[in-house]
Amino acid sequence: MSNLAIKHGAINLGQGFPNFDGPEFVKDAAIQAIRDGKNQYARGYGVADFNSAIAERFKKDTGLVVDPEKEITVTSGCTEAIAATMLGLINPGDEVILFAPFYDSYEATLSMAGAKITGITLRPPDFSVPIEELKSKISKNTRAILINTPHNPTGKMFTREELSTIASLCIENDVLVFTDEVYDKLAFEMEHISMASLPGMWERTVTLNSLGKTFSLTGWKIGWAIAPPHLTWGVRQAHAFLTFATSTPMQWAAATALRAPDSYYEELKRDYMAKKAILVEGLKAVGFKVFPSSGTYFVVVDHTPFGLANDIEFCEYLIKEVGVVAIPTSVFYLNPEDGKNLVRFTFCKDEGTLKAAVERMKEKLLRK
Amino acid sequence: MEGKLSSVAKQFKPSPIQELSHLAQKRNAINLAEGFPDFPAPLLLKSSAISAINSDFNQYRHVQGICDHLAMIVKEMHGLNVNPLTDIAICCGQSEAFAAAVFATIDKDDEVILFDPSYETYEACVTMARGVPNPTGKVFTGDELELIAEECRARNCFAITDEVYEHITFDNNKHISLASLPGMQERTIITSSLSKSFSVTGWRVGWAIAPPFIASAIRNIHVKLTDSAPAPFQEAALTALSSTPEYFESLRSDYESKRDYVMKMLEGIGFKIQFKPQGSFFLFAELPEDCPLSDVEYVKELIQKAGVVAVPGCGFFHTDLAMKKSFDADYAYQNS
Repeated sequence: MSNLAIKHGAINLGQGFPNFDGPEFVKDAAIQAIRDGKNQYARGYGVADFNSAIAERFKKDTGLVVDPEKEITVTSGCTEAIAATMLGLINPGDEVILFAPFYDSYEATLSMAGAKITGITLRPPDFSVPIEELKSKISKNTRAILINTPHNPTGKMFTREELSTIASLCIENDVLVFTDEVYDKLAFEMEHISMASLPGMWERTVTLNSLGKTFSLTGWKIGWAIAPPHLTWGVRQAHAFLTFATSTPMQWAAATALRAPDSYYEELKRDYMAKKAILVEGLKAVGFKVFPSSGTYFVVVDHTPFGLANDIEFCEYLIKEVGVVAIPTSVFYLNPEDGKNLVRFTFCKDEGTLKAAVERMKEKLLRK
Repeated sequence: MEGKLSSVAKQFKPSPIQELSHLAQKRNAINLAEGFPDFPAPLLLKSSAISAINSDFNQYRHVQGICDHLAMIVKEMHGLNVNPLTDIAICCGQSEAFAAAVFATIDKDDEVILFDPSYETYEACVTMARGVPNPTGKVFTGDELELIAEECRARNCFAITDEVYEHITFDNNKHISLASLPGMQERTIITSSLSKSFSVTGWRVGWAIAPPFIASAIRNIHVKLTDSAPAPFQEAALTALSSTPEYFESLRSDYESKRDYVMKMLEGIGFKIQFKPQGSFFLFAELPEDCPLSDVEYVKELIQKAGVVAVPGCGFFHTDLAMKKSFDADYAYQNS
């Protein structure tokens, strides 16, 4: 899609990273760290000050007190945290439950670990968890369940009720939970809830997060896993042999970032909500059926009013004839058919870009 | 909940090296154990990274220029013709390049030969991919590369090389890449990085060079493991990889004098150094024969009494050899 986009000079609302940069105070901290000579191997599981900053932030967010030395592992982005968790805690043949649509590295790393994947599809309009289906698929043979909240690509946020139900099923069947919470600071319509903070869940949960989305520095590759010591052990073993250590100067800067005052996070939310409004109102006016997105910087829409056969054809048409890029969602499902009516737009772009994209679609995208 | 670990994770044990590092830190000892310099990275390189951060090179990226430079370098150093568009995968350090290479080529129960003494990571990566590590205990010289190549060709197997010390060779020994031997380019995966050549072990920029179908597999796996190497440091890598021959010459001669200094010092104290290092910044020394301590016990004493850290040799070997009573000291230090 990217090459096609460039060829047609299309406005890219497909890629999941901002076209604006991170805050100066964080970049300055990285520059200072490079100047101060912090350029050699960091301790494998993280620079001590950064681990502490992660623990402090986690306590503010969840109320949980964690040991930065024993319960936090720093990785090259959340992508690596996911890979290390899968490889460190999943055996070949283990059953793992995934909610589709899902970020593509989940399936790939689970395959590398030799897991048996069971998919449960979240469906429009509200992508709520089909509890009865979950009850029928979870059992004492289930090793782990993976939850991404706020959710890429739909923007759904798991409610307290959903998380509690999943929690009791996990306790009953002795199942681990891996939660990918990279968009936790982009929670707009409801409060983000960490599974680890629910009763009985800390001891069986690995909480994954990263710097990139919150601070618009996706290329720095700073992520982390928070888990009780016996689960952290597995994550650390795999991490040690996947990348050995994480970028040192960026970790120092990340510690500064995570100690940012509340005002930073409030402004981040305000900015993104303004951008979201531009895109969502625009997409509705153009004629898409827009599904409500509570968090992340993504929104999923039904493209069928425009008469194309499936999501991939629609996205190609959108690039060539309209000059805008969206992502076909079928790649995020175990069964691609489930995604054929849906495409994903992102609003992590400056307002000018969003407005221009909406204008192009209003002008050239016609309902059939 | 110990049963919750994967079988692979349960096989791994804590590293005695790490325990010693903690002890060293507590005693404020001089660390000649871990392989990283205490002198600063080149100023030009740091400025390049700073400039990249300021110019907003901070989102996910793949810097094709790195591949272009590497293709030129391997052509000049080894006579290899490599296509920068298809034959190179940029990774988070040689560590990740190696892990991805192993995942790309090793299946369950595949046999992998390792040469002892070896860096503990190699075996662990093979184990993670559910291969079977087979350490031979054999030490080879440059001449034996041809023997290895012959076996690889005859038995149609892959070779994965770790060439991170490629620019740190001494006494006019030239680094020879296995891939440059006849019939080897098509079956060799070269892994290397910026870390040792440019004194930036904390930046995590490395690569794998391999025939296109392997490089492509490695790239795909890398994307699922970490997605991208740190963006600003990829930009800075362009500066690093444009370094002049003078830079590499001074790197080499600096390390050579440090090697000579450390050897003289250790021999003066009573250590036996059977093998004079021809490259890298490590040195194996045998404990004096009359020393009753094991290597691990000895290093603990070294920390406690002399305030110096080294690495016990046992971590690098798989079988009981006489060499077990040895330790590994690195001389990547300004003031030994």
